[in-house]
Amino acid sequence: MHVGESLEDRSRDHFFAKEGVLSESDPPGDAQDEEARLLEGCRAGDVSAFERLYELHGSRMKSVAANLLGNVADAEDAVQESFLKIYRGAAAFRGAARLSTWIYRVLVNTCYDLLRRRRRRPLEVDSEAASRREPELAAPVSDHPLRLSLEVCVKDLDPRRRAAFVLFDVEGFTHREVGDMLGVPEGTSRALLFEARRDLQRLLARRGVVSGSRA
Amino acid sequence: MSTSRCRRFEKAVSRGEEAVAALEKHAAECANCRESLRLWKEIPEAAPSLAKSWQSPHLFPGIARALAAERAKARDASPARRRRFAWVPAAAAAALFVLSMVGLYVFKPGESARDPLARPSFGKEPLLGDETLKEVETAETNYLSSIEKLSVLAGPRMANPDSAILVGYREKLQLLDSAIGDLRGQLEGNRFNTHLRKELLAMYQEKKRTLEDVVKEVKS
Repeated sequence: MHVGESLEDRSRDHFFAKEGVLSESDPPGDAQDEEARLLEGCRAGDVSAFERLYELHGSRMKSVAANLLGNVADAEDAVQESFLKIYRGAAAFRGAARLSTWIYRVLVNTCYDLLRRRRRRPLEVDSEAASRREPELAAPVSDHPLRLSLEVCVKDLDPRRRAAFVLFDVEGFTHREVGDMLGVPEGTSRALLFEARRDLQRLLARRGVVSGSRA
Repeated sequence: MSTSRCRRFEKAVSRGEEAVAALEKHAAECANCRESLRLWKEIPEAAPSLAKSWQSPHLFPGIARALAAERAKARDASPARRRRFAWVPAAAAAALFVLSMVGLYVFKPGESARDPLARPSFGKEPLLGDETLKEVETAETNYLSSIEKLSVLAGPRMANPDSAILVGYREKLQLLDSAIGDLRGQLEGNRFNTHLRKELLAMYQEKKRTLEDVVKEVKS
C-alpha cells in the first residue's frame, strides 16, 4: 500500500531523529502549534490528523509496545487500539499533559490491558499469536553485546518497572514524561527505573552474563 | 575467596542509587563488585539497542479503516439513540416539576401557619418557624387579654351560679382551664410544636366564646 509505505518510511526517519524532537519536556512553539492543530483534527475525527500523528509517533509507539508486550503482532494491535482510544478520548482530553505524552499514556494502558487479557486467556492468545506471521525486524540502530540477554530479561520484569525502563532507557523519554505517561510522579518514575535496573542486573547475573559479553 | 563472596554490591543495590554510586572506591579493590558495577552501568548503555523498528505497511490503513468504521457507527447510532432517549429530558422536567410542587406544598408557610386554626389537623406537621411562632404567640396574647376582660365581667356570677345554665358554663370553663393548663405544660418543652399550638389556640378561642356567652347570659 503506497500510503502505508510512505508513512512507514517517514515515521522511521522521524524515529531515528527522535532525540532531537520528542525527548524535550517543553516543546518549541511550532511543535506546540502543531500539537494543538493535531488535537483539533483528532477531535474532529480528521483522518489526516491521525495520519500525521502516526507519522510522528507510529514507529516509536510500535517499539514501546513491542518491548512491553514481547512481540510485534501484539504491538501492532496495541497501536491500532490506541489510535481508536485516542479518537474516542480526544474530545475529553483537556491538555493537562502534552498530546504526545498523552498518546503514549494511552498506549501504555492499552498494553497493560492486553497483558491482563493475556494472563486471563493464555492458551487462546498463544495459539492466536502463533498463527500470525511475525514481521521481520530491522537491524537495531545501535547494537550492543548485551542486547539479546537484556531482551530476554526485560520480559521477566514487573510491567510497571518494565514500562519505566523501556520509556526512559530504551526510548529516551525524560522522567517527567515517563511520569506523565505512567500516571505517577517524577520521583516514582526514577524509583521504578532504579528497581528495573536492579532486577535486570540480578536476572543477568543469574544467567551468568558478565559485562561486555553475551549469555 | 573473599572477593567472590562479597555482598556489598547487593546491599548497595538494595539501599538505592546513591549507595551504588558510593561503591566505586570499594570496587577498585574488589573484583566481584567491580564486575557487578560494570554490568550495572552497561544496562542503560545497552538499553537503546532494544528499540525495535519494522515495516508495517498495513497498519495505518487498518487504523484508518477502524476509525472510519468507528465514526460511521457513532453516526448511525446517534439518531436512533437520540430518538430512543428523546423522552428522557421531558420526563426529567416533569419529575422536577412534580417534585417542586410537592416541595412548595410541604414547605411553604401557607394559611395554616399564619392562622393555625383555619385548617386544624392532627397528623404529623412540620415545626413552626420563628416568625410563625411569633404570630401564634401574639394571637394567644390577644386571646388571653380578651379572656381576662371577659372573666372580670363574668367573675361574680360564675363564683355563685344561680341557674343550671351558668353551672353548665362553669363546668365547661373548668374543663377548658384544665385542658389549657395541660397544653401549656406540654408546650413548655416543645414551643415550636404546631399541633399543640393549634390545640391551645382552639382552647383559648373556645374559652373566649364561652365567656362571651356567659356575659350575654348575665346581661339578659
